Amino acid sequence: MTWPILAVLLLVPLGGALLILGLPGSRPRLIRICLIAVTAATLGLSVVMLVYFLAVPGSAASRLSGRANGQSLSQVHSPVTFQFQEQLSWLHTSSSLSQFHPAFNEGNNAFNQAGPPPINFSFHLGVDGLAVWLITLAALLFLVAAVVLSRKEERLKAFAVLMLLSEVGVIGVLTSLDLVLFYFFWEAALIPLYFIMIGWGDERRGRSALKFIIYTVAGSLFMLLAILGVYFITGAQTSVYTFDVPTLIAAQSFVSTTHATTFSLFGHSFPAMNPQDWLFLAFALAFAIKVPLVPFHSWLPDAYTSGKTPFLVFFAGIVSKLGAFGFIRYNLTLFPQASHLFQPLMMGLAVASILYGALAALAQSDVKRTVAYASISHLGFVVLGIFTLNIDGIDGSIIQMVNHGIVIAALFICVGIFEARFATRSLRDLGGLAKTMPVMAGMFLVVALAGLGMPLLNSFVGEFLILLGAFQVSPVWAVVASLGVILACWYMLRMYQGLTQGPLRAPGGPDESSVIAQAVGRFGRIDLGPVELVALVPLVALMVLIGVYPGPIIRYSRFSAAQYSQAVARGTVASPAARQVTTPADGQGRGR
Amino acid sequence: MMFPAEITQLAAAPWLPLHFVPAANLVGILPILIVGGGAVMVLLADLLVPRRGNLVLPVATAIVLVGALGTAAGQWAVHASNPVVFNGAYAEDRFALFADFVILITALAVVALSPGYLRRRGMEEGEYYILLLASVTGMLVLTGALNLIVVFLGIELLSIPLYVLAGFARDEPLPQEAAMKYLLLGGFASGFLVYGMALIYGETGHTGLVAIHHVLTTTAVSQQFDPMLLAGIALLAVGLSFKVSAAPFHWWTPDVYQGSPALVTTFMSVATKVAAFAVFLRLFSATLAPYRAEWQVPIAVVAIISMVFGNVVALAQTSVKRLLAYSGIAQAGYVMIGLAVGRPDGTEASLYYLAGYAFMNTGAFAVITILSRRGEDCDRYSQLSGLGRRQPVLAGLMAIFMLSLAGFPLTVGFFGKFFLFSAAIHDGQLPLAIWGILTSAVSLFYYLRVILIMFSGMPQTASDEEIQVAGVSVGGAAVAAPESAVAVGVPAGLVVVLAGAGTLVLGIFPALIYTLLQGITVVHG
Repeated sequence: MTWPILAVLLLVPLGGALLILGLPGSRPRLIRICLIAVTAATLGLSVVMLVYFLAVPGSAASRLSGRANGQSLSQVHSPVTFQFQEQLSWLHTSSSLSQFHPAFNEGNNAFNQAGPPPINFSFHLGVDGLAVWLITLAALLFLVAAVVLSRKEERLKAFAVLMLLSEVGVIGVLTSLDLVLFYFFWEAALIPLYFIMIGWGDERRGRSALKFIIYTVAGSLFMLLAILGVYFITGAQTSVYTFDVPTLIAAQSFVSTTHATTFSLFGHSFPAMNPQDWLFLAFALAFAIKVPLVPFHSWLPDAYTSGKTPFLVFFAGIVSKLGAFGFIRYNLTLFPQASHLFQPLMMGLAVASILYGALAALAQSDVKRTVAYASISHLGFVVLGIFTLNIDGIDGSIIQMVNHGIVIAALFICVGIFEARFATRSLRDLGGLAKTMPVMAGMFLVVALAGLGMPLLNSFVGEFLILLGAFQVSPVWAVVASLGVILACWYMLRMYQGLTQGPLRAPGGPDESSVIAQAVGRFGRIDLGPVELVALVPLVALMVLIGVYPGPIIRYSRFSAAQYSQAVARGTVASPAARQVTTPADGQGRGR
Repeated sequence: MMFPAEITQLAAAPWLPLHFVPAANLVGILPILIVGGGAVMVLLADLLVPRRGNLVLPVATAIVLVGALGTAAGQWAVHASNPVVFNGAYAEDRFALFADFVILITALAVVALSPGYLRRRGMEEGEYYILLLASVTGMLVLTGALNLIVVFLGIELLSIPLYVLAGFARDEPLPQEAAMKYLLLGGFASGFLVYGMALIYGETGHTGLVAIHHVLTTTAVSQQFDPMLLAGIALLAVGLSFKVSAAPFHWWTPDVYQGSPALVTTFMSVATKVAAFAVFLRLFSATLAPYRAEWQVPIAVVAIISMVFGNVVALAQTSVKRLLAYSGIAQAGYVMIGLAVGRPDGTEASLYYLAGYAFMNTGAFAVITILSRRGEDCDRYSQLSGLGRRQPVLAGLMAIFMLSLAGFPLTVGFFGKFFLFSAAIHDGQLPLAIWGILTSAVSLFYYLRVILIMFSGMPQTASDEEIQVAGVSVGGAAVAAPESAVAVGVPAGLVVVLAGAGTLVLGIFPALIYTLLQGITVVHG
C-alpha cells in the first residue's frame, strides 16, 4: 500500500461533509444522494483496506513490527502489530529550555533548571485485525443509516453533515495510534453526536443528550488524566516521553509496577494502589461508560429511546463498540498486570450487565427500550470475552462486536418501521401483525433469532467463543453468563411473538382493513418499502453469512486476538527484558 | 543615574528633546508610549470632531493599537539580549510581549465591536475610546513591570479608567451600581496590594524585583520563618487574586460583569485578566520562587476554590452575563493551576490558556454584544432561544466558544487544559488536576445548556418549553416578544468569525502558539 489509505478514509467523509455543507438545503434529493455516495465510497475504501490487510497475513507481524524510538526500547517490539502506519508530527517541543533569565536562577533554585519534558505527539494512524473489522462495520452502518434516512427528514442537510462528521470521529478513534490523537477523536466525535441528539428525536431528547454527554465526558476526563499519567510514568522509568501507542505498548515490558513511582499529594506520597492500577481504572471508567457496563448504563435507555432510527443505526451500532475497542486496545496492552488484578471485577460487571440488561429488557413494554436493554446485555458478553484475557475470549469479543453492530442496527430499523406505521412502540398496543406485514415479519424473525444467539446465525459464533474463553477462566463464569443466553430467548421471542403473532392488535382497532388504512395514511404503505428492504436485506444476509461461514473474520481477528492475549500475558510472565529492569517483587496482580 | 554607554547613545540622537531619558529606554517602552500618546491624541481629536456617530475616533484608536502591535512584534523579532530599561524598572521581554499581543489584539477586537454596539445602546461618547486606551496603557505597563512601584502604577492605571467604563451607561441603574462596587472593592484590593508591597520592601529593603529575588536567594532569609515577608506575600496574592477574579476574592465579579455594558465586560474579562496574570506569574514563579514552598499550597487552594465555586454557582445562573462571569471565575482557577505549578511548563501552560481564553471569551461576549439592543444587553436565555434557526452562523460560532470554554477537542480550550493538567501532573500536584477534571465535567452542564437553548428551540414555541427541557426555569421568558434576526455589522462579524477561526485553528494546531511560548524568557535583571 503506497498511498495513505487511512488518511483518505478520514478525509472522504470530512470532504463529503464540506461538500454537503455547500449544497442548497432546498434540494433534499441531491443531499441524500450525495450522502449515500460519500458513505458508500467510505465503505468501498474500507473494503479495499480489508483486502490489502488480508493480503499480508502473518508476515505483517515481522515486516511491520511495532515502532520503538528509545535506545533501550529498540530491541523490544510491541507485541501488537499495526499495518498501514502513517505518521506526521503534530506538536514537538524541545526539552529543558530554561525560560528564566540567568539572573533569576541564582542560588539553589533547582526547579527552574529542571525544564519540562518534551511534549511530543503526532498524527499517527494504523490498524490491526481488531480495528479493520470495526472500521468496515462503521462504514457499513453509516451507509445503512444514510439509506434509512428519509428525504423528508427535517433539516436534512444539517443531519447529513453531522452524520458524516460523526463518521470522521468514529474512524479517527479506531485508526489513531497516538494517545492524544485518540483522545482528540474520542471527544470530538461527541460534538456532532450531541448536536444530532438535541436536534432530532422525541420531546425528551434535550435531557437525554445532556445525560449522555455528561456521563461520557465525565468518564473520559479521567482518562485524559490517566493518559498524562501513562506519559509521565513511562517517561520517568524508560526516559522515553511519548504518547505513541506502539512505543508505549512495547515500553510496558520495562515499566516497573512496584511502588517506585508515586504521586505526591502536597508532599505526602500516595502509593495506596499501584499507579498502574489507578490508570487502569481511569481508562476502564471511560470505556465502561461508553459500552456501557451496568452501574454506568443509565444514559443508554434514554438516549436510545429518544433518538431517530438513522441516528440509532450508527449510534447503537458502532459508537458503543468504541468502549469495548478501548478495553482491548488500551487496557489490556498498557496495563497488563492491572488487567489481571481487576479481571474478576471486570468479569463481574460484565456478567451483571448481561443479567441486568436481560431482566430489564423483559420488564419493558416499549419495544425500543427492550432493544436498548438487550443491547446492554449483549455488550456485557463482549466485555466478558475481553476480560477472559485468553485468545478465545478476545477473539469472540471482536467477532461479537461486529455481530452486535449488525444485529442492533437491524433491530432498531425494525422497531423504527413499526413506530413509523403505528405511531406507537408499546407491546400492549401492537400484536398479530404477521398477517398484514408478512415480509416484515419474516425479516424481523431472522433479526430476532440472530439477537438471541441462534446457531447458524452470526451471534452464535461470537457468544460461543466468548463462553469458551470464560469457561477456561472458570466454569462458573460460563454457567452464569449462559443464563443470559436463555433470557435472551425469552425477551427476544416475547417481543417477536407479541408484535407478530396472536390476534391482530394495532391502532385502528381489530379490523384489519382499518389498521392498514391508518398505517397507509400515516406512512404510505404497510409492509416493507424498497428503501427499507435495501437497508435490511444486506444486514440479514450478513447475519446468515457470518453465521454459516465465519472463517474469514475469525482468521484475521484471531491473528490480532493472539497478539492482544500475548500483550496482556506480560502481566503474569515477566519477559527477559522486563526482568532486567523490574524488581523481583514485581507483579502483584497474578490472575490466572 | 546615567551610565557612559547610555550617554553615548543619547549623543547619537541629539534631536531628542528628553535629555534626561536615554533613548534606548524609550525604545524599550515604545508600545506603551504609542498607546499612551495615542490616548492623548484621541482626546484632542474628540474635541475637533464634535459630531457623534462618526468613525474617526474608533479608526484612530484602532490605528494606535495596530501601531503598538506592530512595534511589539518588531521587539519580539529583534529579541534584545537585555530588554531591561529604566534602571531595572521595566523589561520588554518576550514574556511581556506575549501578554502585550494578547491584550492589544483583544483591545482591537473590542474597538471593532464598539461603534455598532455603542450606537445600539445609545451611548456614543468619545471618552469611551480614550478611557479604553488609557486602560490598555496601564496593562502594558503591568506586563513588563520589574519594580513593585511600577506594578502598582500599572494596576491603578488600568483600573481607574475601567471604573469609569463600568458605569458608562449613565442612564441605567445597574451600571451605576456596578461602577460603584468595582471602585470600592477595587480600591480595597489596591490597599491589600500596597500593604503587601510595603511589607516586602520593609523586609528586603528593595522594591526592584531583581533585588528582591537576589535578597531572597542569597541571604539567609529564605532559610528561616519570616512572618512579615510571608504576610507581604499573602497580601500580594490577595490583591492580585482580586484582579484576576479568583474565588474567594471574586465577589465583585458577577455584579460588575452583569451591570457593566457588555463590551466593557468583554474587555474587563479578558484583557484585565491577562495583564493581572502576567504580573502574577512574574511575581510568584520568578521573583518569589525561593518561597515557592510557602506560597504553592495557598495558591493551589485558591485555584481549587475558584474552579469549584465558579463552576458550581454558574449552574444556577439565569443571566447569560452572570453565567459568563462565574465561568470567568472558574477559568481564572484553571489558569492558576499553571501559576501554582510555578515551573516553566506551568508558566507556558498558563500563557497558552490565557491566549486561548482571549479568543474564546472575546468571541462569546462579542456574540452577546451583537445581540444587545437599546436599553438592555442580551442577558436572558430566552433571547438566545431559537438563535440556531434565526442566525445559524452566529449560533454556530457561539457553540464553538461554549465548547471551547468547556474544553472540548477541536477547540483551543482542550489544549489549554491539556497543557495545564500535564504541568500539574508533572509537578506531582495531582489534586489540582483532579479538581480541574471534576469541575470541567460540571461546567459541561451549563455550557451545553446554552447550546441546547440556541439549537433545540422550536421557532414558534421557542423559549418556555425548551428552557424547561434544559432544566432551567426563567421567569418572564414567555412574555418576551419573539426575537427577530439582528443585522451583524461587518467589523463585528469579522471579530466573531476571526475569534471562532482562532479558537478552531489553535485547537487543531497547538504548535502555532506553543512554539512561540517555548522561546519566551521571563527576564528579571
